[in-house]
Amino acid sequence: MGKVWLILMLLTPLLGAAAALYLGNARGRLVRLVSLAATLATLAFAALIVVNYETPPLRTAGEPFASDPDYALQVPWLVYSQGGSTAATTINLQLGVDGLSIWLIGLTALLMVPAVLISWESISDRPAAYYALLLALETAMLGVFCAYDVVLFYVFFEFTLLPLFFLIGLWGGPRKRFAAKKFFIYTLAGSIVSLVGLVGIILSLQGPGQAVTFSLPELAFRAGKNPIDAALQTWLFLALFVGLAIKVPLFPFHTWLPLAHVEAPTAGSVLLAGVLLKLGTYGFIRLAIPLLPLASWQVGQPLVAVLAVIGILYGSFCALAQDDIKKLVAYSSVAHLGFCMLGLFALNAEGMSGAMLQMVNHGLSTGLLFLLVGMVYERYHTRMASALGGLAERLPLLGFFMVVTCLSSVGLPGLNGFVGETLCLFGMYKMHPAAAVWGAVGIVLGAWYLMTLLQRVFFGPVREPELHGDAAPIVDLTPRELAAIVPLVVFCVWIGVYPRPFLDRMQPEIRALADRVATAAGGER
Amino acid sequence: MIRVNENLVMVAVMPLLAALITAALGKRWLRHHSHWPALIALGYALIMAVSSLGRIPEGGALAVGYDWVNVGGFQVGVHLFTDQLTAMMLCVVTFVAVLVAAFSVGYMHNDPGYPRFYAALCLFVFCMVMLLMARNFLLLYIFWEGVGLCSYLLIGFWFQKPAAAAAARKAFLVNRIGDFGLLIGLFLIWTNFGTLDMGAVFSTAPALGSGSGTLAAICVCLFVGAMGKSAQFPLHVWLPDAMEGPTPASALIHAATMVTAGVYLVARATPLFVLAPQVQAFVACIGAFTALLAALIALTQTDLKRVMAYSTVSQLGYMFLALGSAAGNPELARFAVVAAMFHLFTHAFFKALLFLASGSVMHAMGGVIDMRQFGGLRHVLPWTHLTFAVGALGLAGLPPLAGFFSKDEILLAVAAGTHGPYGGLMALLLAVGFFTAFLTAFYTGRAYFLTFWGAARLPPEAAHHAHEGPRWMVVPLFILAGGTAIVGWLLGPLTHAFEHYVGQASGLPAAGEHAGGSWVMWASILVAGGGVALAWAMYQWRPDLPGLLVDRFRQAWLASLNKFYLDELYVAAVVRPGEGLAQAAAQVDQHVVDGLVDAAGKAPLNAGRWLRPVQNGLVQFYALGTLLGLAVFLVALLMRMAG
Repeated sequence: MGKVWLILMLLTPLLGAAAALYLGNARGRLVRLVSLAATLATLAFAALIVVNYETPPLRTAGEPFASDPDYALQVPWLVYSQGGSTAATTINLQLGVDGLSIWLIGLTALLMVPAVLISWESISDRPAAYYALLLALETAMLGVFCAYDVVLFYVFFEFTLLPLFFLIGLWGGPRKRFAAKKFFIYTLAGSIVSLVGLVGIILSLQGPGQAVTFSLPELAFRAGKNPIDAALQTWLFLALFVGLAIKVPLFPFHTWLPLAHVEAPTAGSVLLAGVLLKLGTYGFIRLAIPLLPLASWQVGQPLVAVLAVIGILYGSFCALAQDDIKKLVAYSSVAHLGFCMLGLFALNAEGMSGAMLQMVNHGLSTGLLFLLVGMVYERYHTRMASALGGLAERLPLLGFFMVVTCLSSVGLPGLNGFVGETLCLFGMYKMHPAAAVWGAVGIVLGAWYLMTLLQRVFFGPVREPELHGDAAPIVDLTPRELAAIVPLVVFCVWIGVYPRPFLDRMQPEIRALADRVATAAGGER
Repeated sequence: MIRVNENLVMVAVMPLLAALITAALGKRWLRHHSHWPALIALGYALIMAVSSLGRIPEGGALAVGYDWVNVGGFQVGVHLFTDQLTAMMLCVVTFVAVLVAAFSVGYMHNDPGYPRFYAALCLFVFCMVMLLMARNFLLLYIFWEGVGLCSYLLIGFWFQKPAAAAAARKAFLVNRIGDFGLLIGLFLIWTNFGTLDMGAVFSTAPALGSGSGTLAAICVCLFVGAMGKSAQFPLHVWLPDAMEGPTPASALIHAATMVTAGVYLVARATPLFVLAPQVQAFVACIGAFTALLAALIALTQTDLKRVMAYSTVSQLGYMFLALGSAAGNPELARFAVVAAMFHLFTHAFFKALLFLASGSVMHAMGGVIDMRQFGGLRHVLPWTHLTFAVGALGLAGLPPLAGFFSKDEILLAVAAGTHGPYGGLMALLLAVGFFTAFLTAFYTGRAYFLTFWGAARLPPEAAHHAHEGPRWMVVPLFILAGGTAIVGWLLGPLTHAFEHYVGQASGLPAAGEHAGGSWVMWASILVAGGGVALAWAMYQWRPDLPGLLVDRFRQAWLASLNKFYLDELYVAAVVRPGEGLAQAAAQVDQHVVDGLVDAAGKAPLNAGRWLRPVQNGLVQFYALGTLLGLAVFLVALLMRMAG
């Protein structure tokens, strides 16, 4: 059954997209309902997968990845034989689910529902095309996390750009065209360098008498058995780094992000921050660390430690200076992803677990922040903190959720952010204490900019822009908006209060990776 | 044993339940009955805490909960540990909480946020209880921030008021700075001990050796955390502003309980601190300095609640002074910790009392709390006057009230410290302690005389409120006044009941002999009496004296009135530079980092523009190019053949 759910999860959004296009722009209401149904169905399949996923007892450093057999799927896709001695080379439609991808799959499916709900009234222009793109994006994102074949991975990875390019470029703000172009070209340019690195890795891992393989578990196995030469690892790592660091984004490759966020429609921002940035960090943990453990240790750790710390501090200061709330949230993403990278490149179990959790946490918290900012914008048609004030009195429910979300984002214990950040910092402290201490300064700065935001916009006396005569009256959250927010908040609390189930499921893979890095580094020391 | 554990767990669970119930049902259903879940749960928790007092086994009771995180070498469990120290604190917290909840029924009754107040109050009690019972440093940190959140929510309770919103943010941020220190301490503990479990850390710490640099660093970090939460210089600036919150919340959180969490942490970590005598001396210095500084500021404040807030800062400084007085003198540590905890205990009574009584004044004055606006209230508010007087005498430290006994213990501990390796320093700190005791008695007397004596004056806001509050408010005042009157001699050095009980707490080193001196007691009575007498002289006998003194010492008066300009200093030294850095970062990001990206993006375009003339469509030009290329090629070929 597992395989069927997996296929259905990947296909349902595409079917929804086709249906939306078939119904056409004229039947906007129906299009919305169909899209909502499609995302809900996808969420149901994802939930089935998450709930029925069986955590394997242990993985070894030699074979860090293997899908839960229930979900493992392999269909030959492109087969060619070079003729002669070696076996045929096969690119497979290889799909699977393991501890590294399980929560990201869940997160993606979960965030799609609010993405549709928040667009409900704000998108009236060409709804069929809009929802079709949104749903196509969902398949692409889920595809990345389910792909067990490098080629498939890369195809999905790049395919996510197209829907988002149009979502920003057609439904975005005043500078939408420039933002879409910049986002597209910047990240694409990076991924092309990464592609070179990937090809290099694949060819380097072809042992004598072996066929070229594109299968991720097989590549990981080979990399453990016959590691790539140290000098070559460094170059390949740097090539991978360029594309993935832009995607994350790691300082100084982050400048496309604030622009894209500010111009994107709310749903675009939610998915961009919530899921697409994770493709970068996921790429690191799925490709760079297992396949190039020595370079990750030798080059990656110092490089990332420095850039991540700069990103945390610099992103926080940039956030503090913003008047546009959405831009503030965008810069806070730079800081939060800094924590994530810091944990990831601690390269130990604590740090990498924290990083994986932080990916999910950031998706929830920042997704929520963008949703709430979008709701404020829909009411007041401004996102400028200086134009707003005292909204907690005017919109008590929205204010309440904003406070909860900000607290989750500043890493208050009892909510999700704390668990991830703390694990990341503890993990990094073991490796580079200075980096962790400077990173911890970011916790204070995070409180500074978010508490200032709350104070300015939500507390104090009510201050709101003049409304035009025909504008709708200002009302607190509608049931539709609550439906978009509440599930995410529930998970924020759940992860904060009882994170163990979330962490336990990823432990076998994390431990295997930590062992692999330790072995590679141990050989070197 | 099992019953004890269950009871103790209930102490934590009941407030949480009440918080959840009130938060969920308060606004719609409970409304002006929102105090009932709180009163029932807190009362029950109090009964559980008190009934467990005598049944804590030696070495403490441990209630095993669940594993919160278990990743690699990082294991944190939610387990609750209670020893005599914790049990005493649990009683203090739940006792004051019940009284504050009852007082608030009268004080907050017309507030639209009534349910929200009780939900936050109960959440606070839950977090505080969990903080006290945490056996793991990370769990302690979790609830350390948890109580900080509740404090934030209650300071900003009237969030529509800009001052309240600003004070809430300030409290959160300053506390975060302290928490940052605590977190670094946790990093150090974890990497050096491989665990965050307090029991394991405390038992293996001696292996690192006394005076080890690592232990000193850990202790400094823990103390930085304590400085934030317990408002010690230089992180004390948030507490006076926190008075923007409702007065009952100030009484519970910012006077009696949460702000003592830092004292509790340092007391709890005694096994570490005794191994780092230099840090203990540092703790004593910071404590004494804070006590003095805050007392000096309190001399001139005109806002009754702020006087009390600075007095809290000052008294907390006293507690830290006591904790540090055993520097380099491990046999004294038990006595010193007990002295600090006893002062914490009595302070909870008289300071909660003073705050609630101030709240009663504020209630009657229609929200006005500036002592320049009212006076002579002893006839208008007879009950408040009586109880306030008891509290004031307790704070001033006159026998037989509670504050006298506990302050005396602290001074005794410091006096005993003068025989230790830091003797000279302790002698200086003892002098500071006595001087602060004098100041304390003076400003307490000043607040009392200004508020309750002299000609009766009422602010216009008081209108027809100017009478005692309902019984809900008066009864807690009397209970606390009764406590202030008796706990000192009942449990203090006359019977040693408190010392015997808390002294059994796990981790305290064995006690040695310490020289007592009855001179300390007489001196302390003299000093306190002198302070009150001077206050009487200045504000009752010759009310023109303060004005004359202000004219004479204008600079000193201004410095005290403006809190030694520390807030201004922080704004100039930290806040403005930070904001400047933020603006600079934003500009750099837009123009430099992004500018480079855009320049790189334009590179192909510019290259094209530069190369475009080559494609000019003239066949002759292309032929020329071909010819030139051929020539270069041939030359290269020839040179190669020649070489």
